[in-house]
Parts: sequence; C-alpha cells; structure tokens
Amino acid sequence: MSNKRTPLFNHHQKCGAKIVDFAGWEMPIQYTGILAEHKSVREKVGLFDVSHMGQIFVTGPETVEFLSYVTTWDMQRQKIGDCRYCHVLDDDGHIIDDTIVYTLSKEKYMLIPNASKVSEIYDWFILNSKRFEVSIDNLSDDYFCLALQGPQAPRLLGQHLNVSVGSFQLVTIGDTIVSGTGYTGEKGCEIIGPLKEVVDHWEALVEMGAEPIGLGARDTLRLEKGYLLSGQDFNGGQTTLETGYSWVIDWKHDFIGKEALLKIKSTGHQKLCGILIEERGIIRPGNELYYDGKLISQLTSGTLSPTLRRGIGMAYADLDINDLVTVKVRGNNLNGRVVRMPFL
Amino acid sequence: MSEIPENLSYTKDHEWASLQEDGKVKVGITDHAQDALSDVVFVELPDIGSEFVKGDAMAVAESVKAASDIYAPVSGKIVSINNKLEESPELINESPYDFGWMVVIEPEGELEGLLDSNAYREVID
Repeated sequence: MSNKRTPLFNHHQKCGAKIVDFAGWEMPIQYTGILAEHKSVREKVGLFDVSHMGQIFVTGPETVEFLSYVTTWDMQRQKIGDCRYCHVLDDDGHIIDDTIVYTLSKEKYMLIPNASKVSEIYDWFILNSKRFEVSIDNLSDDYFCLALQGPQAPRLLGQHLNVSVGSFQLVTIGDTIVSGTGYTGEKGCEIIGPLKEVVDHWEALVEMGAEPIGLGARDTLRLEKGYLLSGQDFNGGQTTLETGYSWVIDWKHDFIGKEALLKIKSTGHQKLCGILIEERGIIRPGNELYYDGKLISQLTSGTLSPTLRRGIGMAYADLDINDLVTVKVRGNNLNGRVVRMPFL
Repeated sequence: MSEIPENLSYTKDHEWASLQEDGKVKVGITDHAQDALSDVVFVELPDIGSEFVKGDAMAVAESVKAASDIYAPVSGKIVSINNKLEESPELINESPYDFGWMVVIEPEGELEGLLDSNAYREVID
C-alpha cells in the first residue's frame, strides 16, 4: 500500500522538507533543521501540518453518555465550546490512545485520535456503541489539521481569522474549528476544517511569518513538556496510572477500564519517570536504564533537549525524584537523575 | 548540490580523507553526509593513540534524531582529534571539509581503495 499524502505535500517539498514515513503518511520530518525549528516555536511562531491526525465525530442524543463510557472523562462536566484531553482505555485499563475531545454541541462531539490509531479507535467505538443512541463517523480523510504554535500564535490567528481562543476552548467559523490546543506547551491553536481549504490557510499563515515545522521538532518540543507519544510512551501495555496522567481520570463516573485501574491502584505500579542526563551525550528510545548498577528499564522516549542542551528521556520505573541513574548509550554509561516533568 | 572538493579522497560511507605533507591523513565527513545528518549536536571522537582497521567505526556524529557511526577510511593510529567539536559540533555542518575535520590518522601502509571526487559523486547521485 502506498503512503498517504496531505494536500500540502508539494508545499513541504518546495520548502526543502525531508520527508519520512510516519504512520503510513509521507510527512515532513524537518525543513531547515530541528534546532532552528524548535527555537522558532519557543520564541516566535511555527506552523505544523498535522493533517494525518484523525477526526472522529460522534453525534446523537446519547453522545455524552457514550463518550463518558469510552473515555476516562465524564462528559457531563463539559460545556459547549470546551476541549478536554483524555485517554481511551481497553477493559484492562491499558491506553488504546490519547485524544482531545471537542464539545461542539450537546449532541455533537469530535475527537482527534493519533494517525496510527484512527481505525482502532473507530472500531473500538463501534464495538462499544451498541447500547447507545449515537452515530460514529470517521471523517479523517475529509479534514485537515494545522497547529499554529508559539508566543506569536495568538496574534497571527487574530490577523488570519479575526478570532481569539482560550486555552482548551474552541470556536467555530462555518465548518472550521479553532481550538486552544497543541503539543508544544506554547501558546497557540489548532485549526481543523474541510481538507480542500488547507492550502489557503497554510499559505496565508506562512505569508504572515509562521515558520513551517516538521515532526522532528514536534517530538523535541513535546518531550521537553513531558507529553506522551502514542505508540512509543504507551503501546498497548500501559495504564493511565503508570503514565502519571491520573488527572485525566474522573473517578466518579463509570468507564471502560475503571475496574482494572482501581485494582492496579490498590496494588501499586511503576510510573513514567523523567530522566535528565547530567553530562554530555544524547539518550534515545530503547536505551537501557540502570539504577544501583542493575538494569531496571528501557527508555520509551529520549532526545537532546534543544532548550536545555541536555539529554532528556522517559522510562517506566519504580524510582523517586532525584534518584541517580545511568543510561547506557553504545556501551557508555551516562549519568543522570530522575526529575519532575515537564523538563521545561 | 553537495560540494565535493577534487583534491580529497572519499569512502562510500561518506568520509573524506586528505593526505597531508607529513604522510598523515586528515579525516572528516562529506558535505552530503552533514546535510543528511542535519544539525550535528554531539560528536564522540576516539582517544589519541587508539588504533583502527580500515572500515572500523571510530567516531560517532549525532543529530537530534539519530546517531551515525563514522568509519576509519584507512588503517592506522589516531594522532590528533579536533577538540573544538566538543563545544562546537555544528562546525561539521558549517565547514565539513575545513573547521569540521574530525581526526588525523597515521596510516599503516598506503592509502588504498578510496574514491576520487568523480567516483564519490556517482555514489551520492
């Protein structure tokens, strides 16, 4: 099967992007360079084509009840115009995917699953929707998603669409949705709309000074903020509790995976730890983590933090903040320590 | 298009080698290699005095995304390393054939099996 491309593929190539295969999509990993792009987002404003991500719409009179059942959050608490980050769990409490839920109206919600999880989430929703009066539509191929991120993003958004949007709030302009969300920890928004309009948005925002940013910098930006990467920091065997994202759970409602989570909560569990390397060297996913001379885990994520100029990573382990660890990189042991996330 | 100076020798693994007047060989990575790696953020160089056989991994250049082994283009002993790369690994990107050199090797025997600039261009084209 050949890879999918977003309508911006030619624009990416024209900007000198290096293209990689990501979850079945040909996506730009970088344009000018990861360090420069990272800096643009932290200090100015960057624009990401993330049209590979999914859009699943849930509509009908029992949308709230259904989504409360299949996610960790109680949607009764959502107001129209709210966005919410939560997890979708299987019966064992393992994370299938993390997603942002958009409350468009009382009976219309949208979710943004990760590109590699769209069909799995769709199938899971269909499977569990039997007793609810809802319809579930996977419109991922009909919608684009652009992320405009950085301190100057609100100004550019105002200039471009004449709107402003609060953190985890959304506004709609016709079929287009603008939300105060992102994956960089900076101010900014994501714009979601009909696929054929993506080129106009991209060209206008680039013209206003937004720098195209690839998936490489997207990864360093998110890791500095301790955000999870689907398929890497969780890949089917981890629960929300272990990721340290317990705040995405509303315990007062019933949802798939709740019983399993309660059991795990009572017996104890490992936690995703932030690892900061305190000497020169870069750590990578898969590197072995040692504590007290013993191999205890492997890194799920690892990179050079362009901002801190230090190796940062994450690993599931039973460790406390400030514990001293070593990470084995090509036979060398790099000294590091467990730190509270976010790193930045 | 990558710069490939005519006066240097090359490997298919994208190292360049430059025979010095004293018979030693200066080594670095090519313009093509630095571009493919993109931002080099960390360089691991061998110890002075260590010995390598042609084709051995002798150094590592890392970008944000990946680590790449650098192979010895000739057999011999490391007699000098570019210490500037510790603080300024970006010299490899900015000046791959000059300030971004990596090591100097005292070769054992003759330089053999290296590519000239035309042959190297064919490798990357």
